[in-house]
Amino acid sequence: MRYIDNYVKLFERYGGKTIAEKDLVQAIIPVENLVEVSSRIFNEMGAMYRTCIGMDERPLNGLFSIIHVFTDNRAGLYISVKTYLDPDKPIAPSISKEIPAAEWCELETRDLLGIEFEGVREGRLVLPDWWPRDIYPLRKDVEYSFRPTPQVHYAKFVKPVETGIVPLGPYHPALHEPEYFELYVEGEKIVDVRYRGFHVHRGIEKLAESRMSYQQVCFLAERICGICGFEHSTCYALAVEKAGKLEVPERAQFIRGVVLEIERIHSHLLWLGVIFHLLGYDTGFMHTWRIREKVMYLAELLTGSRKTYGINIIGGVRKDVSEEKKQKVIENLAELDKEFAQVIDIALSVPQVKKRLSGTGVLSKKDALKLCVEGPVARASGLNVDARRDLPYASYKYVYFKIPVYTEGDCLARALVRIDEIRESINIIQQLLDTMPKGPISLDTYEIPEGRVGIQVVEAPRGGNVHYVVTGRGRPYRWRIRAPTYSNIPALRVMLKDQPLADAPLIIASIDPCFSCTDRILVLSKKP
Amino acid sequence: MEKVLKPVKIIIVAGRVKRITRKYPEEPPLLTSEFRGLIRIDPAKCTGCGACVRACPPNALDIVDMGDKIVIKYFIGRCIYCWRCVDICPVKAIKGTREFELATDNIDDLYHSVIHSKTRCVTCNRGFATIRLTRWVIENSPISEEYVHKCPSCRRSDFVKTLSRRKGGV
Repeated sequence: MRYIDNYVKLFERYGGKTIAEKDLVQAIIPVENLVEVSSRIFNEMGAMYRTCIGMDERPLNGLFSIIHVFTDNRAGLYISVKTYLDPDKPIAPSISKEIPAAEWCELETRDLLGIEFEGVREGRLVLPDWWPRDIYPLRKDVEYSFRPTPQVHYAKFVKPVETGIVPLGPYHPALHEPEYFELYVEGEKIVDVRYRGFHVHRGIEKLAESRMSYQQVCFLAERICGICGFEHSTCYALAVEKAGKLEVPERAQFIRGVVLEIERIHSHLLWLGVIFHLLGYDTGFMHTWRIREKVMYLAELLTGSRKTYGINIIGGVRKDVSEEKKQKVIENLAELDKEFAQVIDIALSVPQVKKRLSGTGVLSKKDALKLCVEGPVARASGLNVDARRDLPYASYKYVYFKIPVYTEGDCLARALVRIDEIRESINIIQQLLDTMPKGPISLDTYEIPEGRVGIQVVEAPRGGNVHYVVTGRGRPYRWRIRAPTYSNIPALRVMLKDQPLADAPLIIASIDPCFSCTDRILVLSKKP
Repeated sequence: MEKVLKPVKIIIVAGRVKRITRKYPEEPPLLTSEFRGLIRIDPAKCTGCGACVRACPPNALDIVDMGDKIVIKYFIGRCIYCWRCVDICPVKAIKGTREFELATDNIDDLYHSVIHSKTRCVTCNRGFATIRLTRWVIENSPISEEYVHKCPSCRRSDFVKTLSRRKGGV
């Protein structure tokens, strides 16, 4: 309560209106005070910046709006700061000078909604260069089926003097997704990096806002990412349930918790395999993936599919966990624990693994704090953040678990965080299965009123997913997704500086990047 | 010395687990009892109500109006095997199977359709719903028999007429 009062006082001092409800503090602030308020929340209150959302509210009240979302991890609060903008000439002040983590989402808002930000850098982030200048796809007056004719407008290319350029991507054997890094090198040393991503942006936010129903979007959300899809669909479902104030059965939340942790184990094992492969230790790669197969089997047993489980719906889950399955999961996990300990012990004793991982790609705590990095990257740099503990959701308030934190900030620390997390996840699953309550697994009927807001952070294997939902008629009015890699990629610039070129793929892989999450891929175009 | 030789221990692990990949397709694939595969629509049971079409997230199921026929079209290429249609079908006409070997060189193999004949409105003689659907409605709610054979617009105009008569209008 004390924390909420602090925020209410702060907003009042700057002429804001505040609505505090459970764990969400929503404020509407005059546009001229936005920078000041944001910087106070970030620097004085110590809240973590998550994302910003631009919204076209012209059909509702004739205005544009921009919302900055923070989370106060000590108090377990979501803070949303909203400002209304002029509909004819939407200009907002940029907060990226005070909070560098805000730069990307401000650029994205400018691309997709045409809201100008004073003081943010030039150039496009999300839209391709051929997209017409004056069409903003997320505005409500742009039809979903609208297909523009390409206009050639290539970005001005400035060639730096006295440095060589090494392009990495969009197709590169070490990186398995389309992204483009331009590494500026002096000899063997990297001096700067430029990133151009979003090659696979398909606008699924627009798709959900214009032609899908609440239930269908759960399956769409699952397809944002191939590896942490269930986190996305859980995050979306929880956000909608929060907005509609639905009381989801406990048993459903426990099943969600079990599957979330299964997915975490699977993702971390996959990452370990990839990192061993990039180091040239293919034996380790083979063995971690052999162990991973057991997790995939369990996922199929519990949900019916090896990936993209499809069991989440608004109001619960679709598949129950029987006693027989429970037994099988516990048996398999015990076996997995033993084998994993043995293999990882051997793998870490390999000299080249330790040598190449330690000391590469260091991200200091100061930079990590400034850039608001997420997940294992933050925990390896000494930031003790984890949404599972700080902002408990699903069934995490019923279990006890440790959060591994390392202070070195290098690739080895990031690997060790993930190795420890696998052990904790096995522990969590055992606790959840032991204490799973009886009862129904989903709500039969429910109603979601219009115009409500739901914000949810779910700790995916790579960091916190943020979903922001404004409810509308039968479907979300606005749905914003922020994947963890979105806030981790800007940190790569710090990590890659002064590193040898040969370590670049390793460092890029060490944040466990998921470019399709970031870009929000989904090919769903129906030919006209 | 032991420390130097530790990486070699992986050979012992590899020797113990032996080969774990299966010789698919000679051997059966690793599938659990819960696996969700292709769906099959039973044409004998389907009423063509279109509930599955509304529930399908990727629009793999489609309902097409073709003059005097209504067609439920299932395109496997778009299916995500979520089985929402299986859950939702009011007459349990859709069954989930464990089939997953769907590669083909003929695109027509990826389309399954169920064709329904339309019923005609008794007043305006226009086709509106499938014959099976009207039969299903009558079976489940016998009082609807009077107006189930009228198309929605005739039903609406009849209703307005009745109301106005009751009010003492025209």
